[in-house]
Amino acid sequence: MGARSVHVAKERLKNLLTADRMQCAPDAVERLPADLYHTVSKYVEIRPEDFHVEITRTDIHIKYMGEKN
Amino acid sequence: MGEVIVITSGKGGVGKTTTTANIGIGLSGLGKKVMVIDMDLGLRNLDVVMGLENRIIYNLVDVIEGSCRLKQALIRDSRFPDLCLLPSAQTKDKTSVSPEQMRKLIEEIRDEFDFILLDCPAGIEQGFQNAIAGADRGIVVTTPEVSAIRDADRIIGLLEASGIRQNDLIINRLRIDMVRRGDMMSVEDVTEILAINLLGVIPDDEQVVIATNQGEPVVGEECLAGRAYLDVCRRLTGEEIPVNDYSRPEGFFEKISSLFHRNQGA
Repeated sequence: MGARSVHVAKERLKNLLTADRMQCAPDAVERLPADLYHTVSKYVEIRPEDFHVEITRTDIHIKYMGEKN
Repeated sequence: MGEVIVITSGKGGVGKTTTTANIGIGLSGLGKKVMVIDMDLGLRNLDVVMGLENRIIYNLVDVIEGSCRLKQALIRDSRFPDLCLLPSAQTKDKTSVSPEQMRKLIEEIRDEFDFILLDCPAGIEQGFQNAIAGADRGIVVTTPEVSAIRDADRIIGLLEASGIRQNDLIINRLRIDMVRRGDMMSVEDVTEILAINLLGVIPDDEQVVIATNQGEPVVGEECLAGRAYLDVCRRLTGEEIPVNDYSRPEGFFEKISSLFHRNQGA
C-alpha cells in the first residue's frame, strides 16, 4: 500500500506540470501526443510503443525509437 | 562584486525564510560578507527567524523612499560576524517598492558584499517581481509534495523567462522514513521532474522548529538539518560536496559521521 502513494503523486504531478507548461486544459495534454503520433505516422512507419512525447519547460521532444528493437 | 541570489518557491510555507536565514548565517560563518534582505512587504518574518525582531528601527521601504540612509536600517548582531539584515516593512505593501528601485538599490550595495540574499514572498505577483529584479541567480525551495513541486516548476519557468538562467534546487523537509517506505517522493523523483541542479537536501528535523522558536540558526549545529545547511553554504562558496540524498539504509550516514567526529576528538 505504501508504494502506491508516491506512484499516485508522481502521476498527478506529471499531468499537472504538462498542463501548466502547455497552458492548456488537462484533456488537451492527453490529445496532443495522440495527434502528434497520428501526424508522424502519416510519414514514418512507427508503432505506438516506440513513440514518446516529452514536454519540458521550454521544449516538446518527440522520441522515436526507430528500428532499434 | 557580490553575488545576488533570490530565494523563492512560489508556494508559501515551504521554508524560504528559514532557508534564507540559515544560508545567510552559514555563509557569514564561513567568512563571507553577507546581506539578507526581507522582500516580504507587509508580512515581515526574516527578522523573527533570526531573533532580531526587537532591533528594527528603519526598513527597506524607508531606505527606498529616502527616509533614512541604508546604514541606519541595517541590523548587525555579534552572534553573526559579517552579516547584516535589511528588514521588511510590516505596515506597507508590495506596491511601495518597484522592480526598478530594487535593481538600483542592489547595484549601489553589491560591491560591499560577497553575497546578497533576497527572501522572496510567496506568490508570483509584484512582490515576486520586486524580489527577482536585481538577482543574478535563484535558489528554488520546495518540499516533496505535489503542490509545492508544481509551484516550483512554475517559478523556474518564470525565472528563466525573466533572464535568470542559473537556478538551483533545495528540497526541504524530506522525511527520510516516509521516502524509504514509498510514501514520499524521493530526491531522485523530485530532481527528475524539475530538471535543475540540486544544491541541497534538508531532512525534516525537529531541531529546525526548536531553533526557530528561540530565534537561533540551526546551520552548523550537530543535527541532520544543521549539517545539510552548512553543506549548502559550502557548495555556494565553490566547494564540491556530494549531495546526500538520504537513500542509504537508516543510520548509515550518522554512523559514518559519528565515527569521523570521534576520531577527530581523539
